Amino acid sequence: MLRRRKILARGIGGFLALFALLYLVPYIWMVSVSLKPDAEIFSTKIFPKNPTLEQYRRLFFGYEFKGITLEVNFPAYYKNTVIITVISLVLVLFADALAAYGFAKFEFRGKTVLFWLMIGTMMLPIYATLIPSFWLFSKLKMINTYQALILPGIVDAYGIFLLKQYMETIPGEIIDAAKVDGAGAFRRFWQIVVPLSRPALGTLAVFRFLFVWNDYLWPLVIIRKEAMYTLTIGIANMQQRQGMVVWGSQMAASVLATLPVILLVLLMQRQFLRGLTTGAFKA
Amino acid sequence: MAINEIDIERPASLTAASSWQRFVRTATPYLFISPFFLGFVIFQLLPIGFSVFLSMAEWNGMSAIKFVGLDNFLTLAKDGRFWNALRVSTIITVVCTLVGTAGSTILAVLLERVEDRLASLLRVIFFLPSVTSVVVITYVWKQLYSTDYGFFNDVLVWLRFPPHNWLAEPSLALTALIVMLIWAGLGWDALIITAGLRAIPDELYDAGKVDGTSGWTEFWYITLPMLRPTLLFVLVTGVIFLWGLFAQPQLLTNGGPMRQTQTIALYLYDSGFQYHKFGYASTIAVVLSILMFVSSYLNFRFVKYEVE
Repeated sequence: MLRRRKILARGIGGFLALFALLYLVPYIWMVSVSLKPDAEIFSTKIFPKNPTLEQYRRLFFGYEFKGITLEVNFPAYYKNTVIITVISLVLVLFADALAAYGFAKFEFRGKTVLFWLMIGTMMLPIYATLIPSFWLFSKLKMINTYQALILPGIVDAYGIFLLKQYMETIPGEIIDAAKVDGAGAFRRFWQIVVPLSRPALGTLAVFRFLFVWNDYLWPLVIIRKEAMYTLTIGIANMQQRQGMVVWGSQMAASVLATLPVILLVLLMQRQFLRGLTTGAFKA
Repeated sequence: MAINEIDIERPASLTAASSWQRFVRTATPYLFISPFFLGFVIFQLLPIGFSVFLSMAEWNGMSAIKFVGLDNFLTLAKDGRFWNALRVSTIITVVCTLVGTAGSTILAVLLERVEDRLASLLRVIFFLPSVTSVVVITYVWKQLYSTDYGFFNDVLVWLRFPPHNWLAEPSLALTALIVMLIWAGLGWDALIITAGLRAIPDELYDAGKVDGTSGWTEFWYITLPMLRPTLLFVLVTGVIFLWGLFAQPQLLTNGGPMRQTQTIALYLYDSGFQYHKFGYASTIAVVLSILMFVSSYLNFRFVKYEVE
């Protein structure tokens, strides 16, 4: 009986491993096209015969094309994406933690209504605000700015909900002890609640990172100038601008845009799994 | 949580506090939640109000806004392109959630039977698309689907089948999009279902063993019923996500050929940002938001979260 189970496990393992290999084809394709020289891009061989870093080099130093150098602003896309991701993370986590603390540890008039109003924003898709937000930022002359990319994202009900759940588990006595020591509300928040909430903040940070790093629709609407492109917009526009020639470089850019995300998820696997299962629901 | 519990017992020293201190104490919680609500008013509440207003107006983004009442909604009701978009979105939503949830359930159940080290490696592999940018995913798939140099046609030709122009044939493009979407969503759903599987108490399976259940009846009579809330959660979140589908069809086929992959969100975007019919686009936005809001509401209603 036990033996049969073991054989079955092996069989399923082998089957799934084979399936996983097929499942990885798009990733294998991405990496190998990014390593192909121009002459091999359109060959039917999946793996390059003469692998080269030429496609990557072009992202940084431009194309040599009939004596002219076509510039690719890839480093700018990367820089823009890193900047908005970092600033968004700091702002969102701070705003979320403040609000979550307010909801978790205080009683005040209108709390229930405000809480459900906040939950309500979780149910509204970006399409409910897309056109007016675009109008607002164009009126503020903020098209093509970091502010426009960052600010709408700080309204993050999901994050507040997640953090509030966590902060409610922090015993009130710990916070009250600081009260006796004469610490004000903000100091109690900053020196006690925030450090104790670090696991939940970590989970949230991973999710926000992924969201901002990979966001496409809002940058598409609000960014019109190439120097301000994020990675997603930049990669999408490489195709449209130069036709099929850019297959290789586009895959190289894709590899570079995907690497940090994969590394992050591998490093923060634990925070990540917790986040996925914290929306905990019961039968 | 009730409002009349605000004034909890206070030490005597505090009751004598000055009115300033009392004011600070009352204001503190509001100060904590104010950054969120400031953003909420500017980037959510006012825009939503403006959206609803625009949905009843004609506006090209430059001219004066002209109020037209419910005209846009009447136009929408008779707009063949809108109904087409609704049809496309419905097909995508139904097929992807059903096939995707079934597939990820099978995957999750099988993964539980595999030896741990291999299983965790496989989980990471299946999860990769969930963290990869949709732009990257879609452009890779666009190359895989390419007529002359793509992977799928290479395989077909190698197997002596005729190649296809996957993204340009009206009967194939939607299928091509759906296959990509199912591929991309498999790992995420499987992970959530895995969490659901592990929450099923072992005693149930032990009890089943006593009654002599085999693998299949065990799955059908114990696993599946116990997994119901998890599956419901996966289904409903999938529905919400797919109603709002935009980037993938825009980048893969831009809604074509012959609007066979034009989702509601894509039609909204094109109406507004390509044809500058911002009023009409807002009408579509309002209808789409209602659709998505109702789906979300059902999610909260039928899936019991541990809110309290």
